[in-house]
Amino acid sequence: MTESAQVQPKTSAGAEAPQTAREPLLRVDSLVKTFVRKGVRVTALDGFNLTVDEGEFVAIVGPSGCGKSTFLHMLGGFESVDGGTMTLNGRRVAGPGPDRGMLFQEYALYPWRTVLGNVLWPLEVQNIPPAQRNTTAERLLTLVGLTHFRNHYPNELSGGMKQRVALARLLALNPQILLMDEPFGALDAQNRELLQEELERIWNTSRKTVLFVTHDIDESIYLADRVIVFTARPGRIKADIRIDLPRPRAMEIKKSAQYIEYRNRIWDLLREEVLRARSEHAP
Amino acid sequence: MTGQTAALAETMPEPKTAFAERRGAGWLIPLAVLLAWELCGQFGMLPRYIVAPSRIGATWWGMLVSGELTGHAASSLFRQSLGLLIGASCGTIVGVLAGVFAPISRFYEPLVSLIYPVPKVAILPLIFVWFGLGDLSKIVVMTISIFFPTYIAAYHGAKSVQKIHIWTALNAGATRARLIRQVVIPSALPDIFNGWRIGLALSFVLMVTTELVVSTKGLGYVIARAEENLRFDRMYAAILTIAILGFCADRLLLKLRGYLLVGQLMSKDSGHG
Repeated sequence: MTESAQVQPKTSAGAEAPQTAREPLLRVDSLVKTFVRKGVRVTALDGFNLTVDEGEFVAIVGPSGCGKSTFLHMLGGFESVDGGTMTLNGRRVAGPGPDRGMLFQEYALYPWRTVLGNVLWPLEVQNIPPAQRNTTAERLLTLVGLTHFRNHYPNELSGGMKQRVALARLLALNPQILLMDEPFGALDAQNRELLQEELERIWNTSRKTVLFVTHDIDESIYLADRVIVFTARPGRIKADIRIDLPRPRAMEIKKSAQYIEYRNRIWDLLREEVLRARSEHAP
Repeated sequence: MTGQTAALAETMPEPKTAFAERRGAGWLIPLAVLLAWELCGQFGMLPRYIVAPSRIGATWWGMLVSGELTGHAASSLFRQSLGLLIGASCGTIVGVLAGVFAPISRFYEPLVSLIYPVPKVAILPLIFVWFGLGDLSKIVVMTISIFFPTYIAAYHGAKSVQKIHIWTALNAGATRARLIRQVVIPSALPDIFNGWRIGLALSFVLMVTTELVVSTKGLGYVIARAEENLRFDRMYAAILTIAILGFCADRLLLKLRGYLLVGQLMSKDSGHG
């Protein structure tokens, strides 16, 4: 049941960090991931490198099956690492931990707990005193606008509301880096846009480091400081594009010339990879 | 205009007013059977071993008022509840642990496949030899029999906890004990309840079966004596008592289930826009 949650750390092969002015929060060095599917060995990641600075909002886009979600799960400590290292704040990543908080597309709320109970849960695990727990949970429910639903159960809520509860729960954990795995992928277009606006607003108040995996180019440009385009499998960085759009960002920004330029550029890059992936998988 | 709406109402199926949906519709057939049964009895059309409901009712009431039934029922329920409690608790605990820890399941799974299909009543004489003819042997048989369905249900429930629910717990830094207590068990609870419901029915069946073989007190004992003395009205009165007790116990369990699983039993479609 929990076997998959174990990470076997390999001995670090002299991955000395180069001296820079400011050490990045996250450093990923020559990460490798292979798995066997139907007797065929598949390389999902092959020597993948990435650095993320504190307070950066980094979006990862790529063709489906490029290993972007796998990478996030590895960083979360839920998938084994077949080579390379990941260092968060100078500490090697091994196994799951509260310093890296995950947000899943499927919300992963506990249906037996109320909305408030779900937000309180990570605080209970962290042994926060009850009074402080309640204050934090209420503050976060206010932040996501769900105070009136505190005593509802997740199954009574819509997808968008569920993801807002999951976001409040994630913020209650207060991790160093937020890992979001296509969090709005299951929502309809209107709700997705509302949630994007909400996330942008919330992120502006806290400026937590975020790694956001998505297949939605608009979402990545609207939300992120940096958009990383993955190649088709094995996943590598094809392009690392800095998004210089002013914050806070309104939805109208999507009509600006600058935005459209980013969009076209990323779309062209992604199109190449999607076509390449398709030609390789064709018989 | 009224004609138009009436025509519209005709074409639109209305499940609310559908016969089968009506409250109490489920009682209609049993009531009709009961009525036919009673009428047949009144006109002397029943064989001796089938007694009219009114006579069963009268005998039942008499036995209840005299305190005879309560004494026997208490004796039966004592064994039944102990057997159920021990058997279902063991089955649930071992099942959950087997679902979490693979080595435990590797030990128990073949054992379950081997022993579950064997009717435990068949080895009753053996158990009587080991545990005597009193309460203990009956409780042992119930415990063993009830262990299996509750084990299987709990094992399945613990095995099928959603991966992301476990990930979320590990992500928050939960210990294994907390993971089992606060994630695996609540998540497996709907399955665990299914197991308990089967165990409950089984406990009533075994309660009577074991008493039919050897007993000095209990509802099964009443049935056995009534059959020997051709007092079929007393036999039916005892069966009626078992049915009532079983029904109440099952309803109680369902109530408890509804209370404990309030969040999980909610329809997933009942969400707000």
